Amino acid sequence: MDNFASLMHGFSVALTFHHVALMMGGVLLGILVGVLPGLGAPNGVSLLLPLTFSMDPVSAIILLTSLYWGALFGGSTTSILFNIPGEPSSVATTFDGHPMAKQGRATEALSFAFLSAGIGALAGVLLITALSGWVAKFALRFSSPEFFAVYFITFASFIGLGGSSAFKSIVAMGVGFTLASIGMDTVSGNIRLTYDFDVLLGGVSFLIAVIGLFGIGELLLTMEDGLKFNGIAAKVRVSDVLRTAAKLPRYWLALLRSSIIGIWMGITPGGPTAASFMSYAMAKRSSRNPAKFGKGEPEGVIAPETADHAAGSAAMLPMLALGIPGSATAAVMMGGLMIWGLNPGPMLFTERPDFVWGLIASMYLGNVVAVVVVLATVPLFASILRIPFSIIGPLIVVICFIGAFTVAGKPFDIWLALAFGIVGYGFKKLDYPIAPMILAMVIGDKAEDAFRQSMIFSQGSLSIFWSNPLVTSLMAIGLALLLLHPLQLLWRNARRLTAARAARG
Amino acid sequence: MVTRFWAETAIALFTLAYGLIIVRGATEFGIGWDTSGPQPGAFPFYAGLLVALASLGTLVVTWSKRITGRDTLSAVILDRDGLGRVIGFFLPILGFVLLCATLGMYVATILYLLFAMRVQGGFGWLASLATAFGSAVAFYVLLERIFLIQLMKGPLEAFLGF
Amino acid sequence: MAMFRTAALAAAIAIVPGAAALAWQPTKPIEFVVTSGPGGGTDNFARIVQSIIQKNKLVDQPIVVVNKGGGSGAEGYVHGKAGKGDPHKVIFGTNNAYLLPYVAKLAFKPADFTPVASMALDEFLIWVNGEAPYADAKAYIEAAKAKPGTLKMGGSQSKDTDQTLTAMIQEATGAKWIYVPFQGGGMAATQLAGAHIDSNTNNPNENVGQWKAGQVKPLCVFSPTRLAKSEPVHGGKGWGDIPTCKEAGLPLEAFQMPRTVWLPADVPADAVKFYEDVLEKVSQSDEWKEFIARTAQTGRFMKGKEFAEFVARDDAANRKVFEAEGWVVK
Repeated sequence: MDNFASLMHGFSVALTFHHVALMMGGVLLGILVGVLPGLGAPNGVSLLLPLTFSMDPVSAIILLTSLYWGALFGGSTTSILFNIPGEPSSVATTFDGHPMAKQGRATEALSFAFLSAGIGALAGVLLITALSGWVAKFALRFSSPEFFAVYFITFASFIGLGGSSAFKSIVAMGVGFTLASIGMDTVSGNIRLTYDFDVLLGGVSFLIAVIGLFGIGELLLTMEDGLKFNGIAAKVRVSDVLRTAAKLPRYWLALLRSSIIGIWMGITPGGPTAASFMSYAMAKRSSRNPAKFGKGEPEGVIAPETADHAAGSAAMLPMLALGIPGSATAAVMMGGLMIWGLNPGPMLFTERPDFVWGLIASMYLGNVVAVVVVLATVPLFASILRIPFSIIGPLIVVICFIGAFTVAGKPFDIWLALAFGIVGYGFKKLDYPIAPMILAMVIGDKAEDAFRQSMIFSQGSLSIFWSNPLVTSLMAIGLALLLLHPLQLLWRNARRLTAARAARG
Repeated sequence: MVTRFWAETAIALFTLAYGLIIVRGATEFGIGWDTSGPQPGAFPFYAGLLVALASLGTLVVTWSKRITGRDTLSAVILDRDGLGRVIGFFLPILGFVLLCATLGMYVATILYLLFAMRVQGGFGWLASLATAFGSAVAFYVLLERIFLIQLMKGPLEAFLGF
Repeated sequence: MAMFRTAALAAAIAIVPGAAALAWQPTKPIEFVVTSGPGGGTDNFARIVQSIIQKNKLVDQPIVVVNKGGGSGAEGYVHGKAGKGDPHKVIFGTNNAYLLPYVAKLAFKPADFTPVASMALDEFLIWVNGEAPYADAKAYIEAAKAKPGTLKMGGSQSKDTDQTLTAMIQEATGAKWIYVPFQGGGMAATQLAGAHIDSNTNNPNENVGQWKAGQVKPLCVFSPTRLAKSEPVHGGKGWGDIPTCKEAGLPLEAFQMPRTVWLPADVPADAVKFYEDVLEKVSQSDEWKEFIARTAQTGRFMKGKEFAEFVARDDAANRKVFEAEGWVVK
């Protein structure tokens, strides 16, 4: 148990008053960053980076990772309360979290989200502790075809989930794909689809789309109904938090499955956002009553949250051991590592054990600290819903647009957010599914790049997607997921027919 | 008053136009398949084409339902009251964005919150003023001071020397 | 506070116009426009400069770093161009400031910027997998020649430095690779470590982690002279032990990427002088020297005429490749 001894050493590094104070500070700042849509964890981390130049690397990384955990938690809060994902990875949390809040179960939803997120994160760190060496070697086997296969699995798990019309699903997904392809195309070095508008050079940030589609779109819908949030009357009691915690073990299967999906996506690197989507899809698919999903099913909160955090923490491993960032935030932290004089790579573990194991130990502690801190804020956040909508509505509007501006500091983005708001309202009125659109925006261009890189590898031959056992099994899983749904339908129909026939006969 | 039929038609026409714009933009970069796989325009081209075709599909479904009389889709999905509320909420937002672009985000925040609370929400002056200025100050402290993010500024800030 | 200081400064300038002692000074927060995303090479460069300036209090005003990495930096340059006449916007980049407009239809040209300085030259090396049988660059090139168009060279996005260098090597040696563009140097490094590609032309900093572990090894460096001596990195070899590509028998003089700093067009000459001085001080600081050594770049501060001549040479050399490869947009 070499790793275990190292971990214990790590705890001795991380568990000082100074470091725990940094964790608390980082988590609180992170919650603030996470609550503001647009100003996500990557921004928060890169903004704090200058502060860390004068710190020693262990303290610096503890501060930054704690901010990251805090941001992930903060992002879920606004998803649940206002249907506005504060972080890209908490988009999937809105699907069931917000309906729960509307039913007056905000405390329950928030507690479920935070607790399962904490469990997911711990699962991710446990993996890093136990299997760091093996995982680092495994991840080296991934090349473009394998990456494409991972994205393919994610898409496949999501297709056929919604009940919307096929035409509308295709439109939503296609719009997402095309929006993702605006801007620089890595593979050809061309700048695509900007139509000579300079503001489109950087592409259309999917954060802006999320702010418009979810935030503004949802507000317009709420206004139209003339409804206030139903949660207003619900009492917020601290004991509700505990009662929810007691219910959590019932969902052990969802927690386990979501942790595995999250860890997998964190390592491969599909990233936390894709992980949460996929986990939600898998939860709905394997549920006995999928119809409940989208209407306030706790498992619909637990699944994405667990996977999101598991992926977020597992993504630290490829960052440290390989120098591949598994998420946007990890990319920024990697920049930080270099500035502090550390070179991410396989040798970091042996060269700087203090740093690596101090960080890993701080991930355990940081997440525990984060869960405690956010659980303490549940009553506070849940009681925000009591504020009359005529105050909170306009405030959300302001937060959305300021958030949209902070994404890249582009004035154009606030107009774009407004446009997405109108589109989101129209789409929601007419049951266009928005989730596939977001998913396509998040991983569409990555999937395209991976596909085209694979084609360069193979000089245009598709056989590369079953050229080795790894990619073949990945593609097979993807295909199985893709075909599973129609086959299930067929089988069910067949059974109904035979049953009907048997009844007649 | 908006019926489902017209709403469906309008959105489908919108996505159809969007799809066609993408298709047009993509053809610039080659949409074929050469020795190193699909050309740069291929993915956006086919994705855009799918959007356009699926939009046509929605149009055909919508109109054929109406024409065959199976379902006239004349159910009102947005009534007069709802429309009024949406517009009453949307126009101030539009105004807010316009103000952001001209007077800067702080002034826009204060004016918009004041308007929304005092005029639309019917709150007292004190509460409205406190919320409006409190929010602006909170944004200033959090973003400009702690995170060093400059928000959009206007002539007032320039006059004050920020 | 800042407001008062600004007002006082403005008053001071108004009272003594043209006083020689009062050269240009920033009067409001300075914006560092970074033409790459967070975590990229240019981002590290700008943030190191920012940290050194702040630590040593070289500038009175606060410095705000903004990332505008869209369109592989084009977004940052367009943003910088819009700041015409504003000496509070400092643009950090590479040679993409003058090379990007060749390969992409963009709304900026090199004349939209005032050159300030180049602070370092980032080096390029040929790297192969640690297990690869090639002992030196010559052997690898011969192997590539023996199987034209089958070995894979990885690098960052197409029509950028890595592919340009690959094209130069092909032109000079007659070998031919399949060029695989990845999202960045880090990705090219792990792809090489996993032996999915045969070689890459990464900067030292992008591959050092893998070299330490022996997963990749350097063959030669495209620099006129060997890199500075360093601690051994792997197997007793350090940066200074890598032969230059010329020594290794490749008919290619040098390929280096400058880390450049620009101001928008039409800024006062005083302001350019101000930043030249600040950056020169930064380049002499211990922190900067340590950063240069750690990332195995070549610390060479260029300003004024020297910088302009470098740009002219670099521009011409790259342009030749772009034209030969048919990358130049009309």
